[in-house]
Amino acid sequence: MSWLQALQIPMIRQAFVGLILAGSLLSLWGVMVISLNLTGLRFTLMHVGLLGAAVGMALDMSPTVGAFALILLVSGVMGVLGDRVRLSTNALSGFFMTGSLAVAFILLAKSGIPAMEVFGIFAGSVLLLSTMDLVFVIVLGIVTVLFYTILYREIQLVLLDKELAAILGVPVGKIRLVMFILLGAAVALALRLVGALLVDAVILLPAMAALPLANGLKMALVLTAFFGLLSASGGFFLALSLDLPVGASVAVTGAFILALSYVKQRRI
Amino acid sequence: MNKTAIDLQNISAGYDQEVLRAANLTVAQGSYVGIFGPNGSGKSTLLKVICGLLRPTSGTLQILERPIRTNKDRDWIRRQIGYLAQIQAPGQLPITVMDSVLLGRWGRFFSGLKRPSSQDRRRVQETLELVGIEALAKRDLRQLSGGQRQKVALARALVRDPEILLMDEPTTYLDPEAQEALVEQIKELHAKLPLTILVVTHQIQHSWGFSQAWQMQYGLLEEVVA
Repeated sequence: MSWLQALQIPMIRQAFVGLILAGSLLSLWGVMVISLNLTGLRFTLMHVGLLGAAVGMALDMSPTVGAFALILLVSGVMGVLGDRVRLSTNALSGFFMTGSLAVAFILLAKSGIPAMEVFGIFAGSVLLLSTMDLVFVIVLGIVTVLFYTILYREIQLVLLDKELAAILGVPVGKIRLVMFILLGAAVALALRLVGALLVDAVILLPAMAALPLANGLKMALVLTAFFGLLSASGGFFLALSLDLPVGASVAVTGAFILALSYVKQRRI
Repeated sequence: MNKTAIDLQNISAGYDQEVLRAANLTVAQGSYVGIFGPNGSGKSTLLKVICGLLRPTSGTLQILERPIRTNKDRDWIRRQIGYLAQIQAPGQLPITVMDSVLLGRWGRFFSGLKRPSSQDRRRVQETLELVGIEALAKRDLRQLSGGQRQKVALARALVRDPEILLMDEPTTYLDPEAQEALVEQIKELHAKLPLTILVVTHQIQHSWGFSQAWQMQYGLLEEVVA
């Protein structure tokens, strides 16, 4: 079956559109994650997602809805706490990551929920993307672009120096809160698309490749979106051509682009 | 007679504990003032009170003869001051020197949907020339040395056209040569510009040339002979 024939199947077409939108738009959060040294945060949110899935199943709801809701809630709480407690984001991440994993295991042991179904949220599958998932990706993509466009200079200041930004009057706390919630939503969606172990392929790898090559935030965002688009579409077609898992193929393409970026920087 | 730029009367402030204790400080407009003291003595807390980031628990604060009481007053302070902190690690943000300096005008000349104007960019160019780093304008901030980054930070503080320039340990973490060069540059700027400059530092070895100097210890301020 050719690529064009495959894309005529609605399920595959929907998966392709979802993946390239996520690759090019949700990857923009990677710029924020790397610049603010929050790489531990998305790992925490994945573990929180596991607890959310367990809670969702215990309440007879969809595990995906449970994961999504708890990830958003914890992102918001971390965004607020970061301003009010004297703990670094990494310390807070450690607390929520260990805590949510422990509670999830207790819940699994006591409620009789099938553990494999809960861990299923870690697998993700872009081919099972529903129309509602696609709408979420589109809406979050638009909000992400608006966030960067409207608050471009404020974001630059926060990424450059948070203390200076606060002194100049930038509402650092509010920007941080919105950023954490939107990042949480992006991680939750990426979980659904490619699974927990490959979230980095969508969120981190494109920004990691782009940031060292860019000489400004605008260029970093454009390059990140381009690399994200390239790894999503390249990975998708690689999977179709060689009958491989889509998530893993996207991750391999992303890793290849990152390696090329390292070569360009003469790090390899 | 010169106006008063900064006037603190019996100001106390802190976080969980009181760090600044009944501090009195009067700085005339256009003067060049230093506050010395060891780490943890309350110098940075004092600067945070002056720039409106921290509310005092008691006492009165006036900036440029305006009493500072409300959030509106504190927002107003932020438009009057430039701020230079100790040298920061370069971080991961890709940004040119020019763009980084332009950010110094945020909040006073542009913000949100109001984009920087050609006047803002012209002012950036003039400030880069004033600080002597116009050749670095297109360079990536991440690739500069510590001394160069601190000059960029100085330009960012000045580009705001502030009435008052606050400096928090500006020479810390710079190599000795860069420290001396920065001290000389600050003195030259004071001679050239109608600015009130307040420097807090624990580095007493430099010939700062302050017109007025204070010693801070355990949150208490005491004037010393400059």
